[in-house]
Amino acid sequence: MFLSTVILVLQEILEAALLISLLLVLSRLLTRKSRENLSIPLGWLPLSVLFGLGGAWFYAAMTPAVSQWFDYVGLEVVNASIQICTLTALVVFCFMFNSANRINRAAMLNTLAPVLMCIIVVLGITREVSEIILYMNGVLSNPVNVSPAILGAIMAAGIGVSSGIVLYFLILSMPVIWSYRVCMLLLALFAGNMASQAIVLLTQADWLPYTAELWNSSGLIPEYSVTGQLLYALVGYEANPSVLQAVFYLLSALLIAFSPLFLLAWRNSKETNDYDLRENT
Amino acid sequence: MNKGFVSGILLLLVSLPVASSVFAATPEIQIEIRDHLFYPSTIEVPANQKIRLFIINHDPTPEEFESYELNREKVIPGNGKTVIFIGPLPPGEYPFFGEFFPKTAQGKVVAK
Repeated sequence: MFLSTVILVLQEILEAALLISLLLVLSRLLTRKSRENLSIPLGWLPLSVLFGLGGAWFYAAMTPAVSQWFDYVGLEVVNASIQICTLTALVVFCFMFNSANRINRAAMLNTLAPVLMCIIVVLGITREVSEIILYMNGVLSNPVNVSPAILGAIMAAGIGVSSGIVLYFLILSMPVIWSYRVCMLLLALFAGNMASQAIVLLTQADWLPYTAELWNSSGLIPEYSVTGQLLYALVGYEANPSVLQAVFYLLSALLIAFSPLFLLAWRNSKETNDYDLRENT
Repeated sequence: MNKGFVSGILLLLVSLPVASSVFAATPEIQIEIRDHLFYPSTIEVPANQKIRLFIINHDPTPEEFESYELNREKVIPGNGKTVIFIGPLPPGEYPFFGEFFPKTAQGKVVAK
């Protein structure tokens, strides 16, 4: 019980923890290094965690009802919608750093950026933690399981949060331009992962047609292995993705890769512009 | 009125429900969960065809149907029912398990 709790809780928490640390890195980079007087208050984080936990509790309570919607595929439809909303918020975030709208830009970005980050984190926590709540509710109904399950959950939460912290400091330890580049690259892959998960869910619900398996690397890196799990949380690794999954993964990742925020990170650093992210001189 | 035309329409009307039932005929297989076990635990399904799994959870606790091989994952509430579409599958064995009680809840889909 202890080990299976650690695995289950870690699977749910890891993805959210890594996403939060990427957004934190971005907040910090945008605040400290831009020439545009951006200051993204870090208050968005505790607030979104709080709202996310509230959302998770609500969604867990609603699960038996939602599960019956649309001829018993309500959970797939709602979860896919959550993924698509998160993806949309991420895309809007990356595209709002365009060069238009110079008037009141800083003010607009300072308000919009934390709101969008908040939406992304709240939706992520709602989806991931609701499953932990359901699991714990079921498991804890048997008194024998209480202490191993609680210990397991605490340990998994610890590992998940530490992984997030490690990623945060790992990225920030790089030269500024590279922190920014790696951060945007990982966010693009996260976007791909969200799209791919939404596609699996809608295929499982029979709302999207079946498409053939593109490859099968389960012999090489099984999804249940530690490497597989870590790669899944970080870049959405899947051992046997369908064609449709791969296509939407690629499209979403490319959408982020062509956003102004991403291009800003990868443009020639010699070129100057009013909001590049090199150290202020 | 053209007799052939009328009978043609009639034939079409009669055959429509038949045709749609042919296309909608996704075979359904029922699985039950009792005391954190799947019944039946081995499910034989026709290969290369989409299948509708109808899962009934008789336990008061929720369970999660999970399979890496089938690429499927879904929570089934306590005392709840759910539907999962799988396949079309090439012939072979596809293990699945209940992620909330992985020690006992195990099974496999055999596509033939």
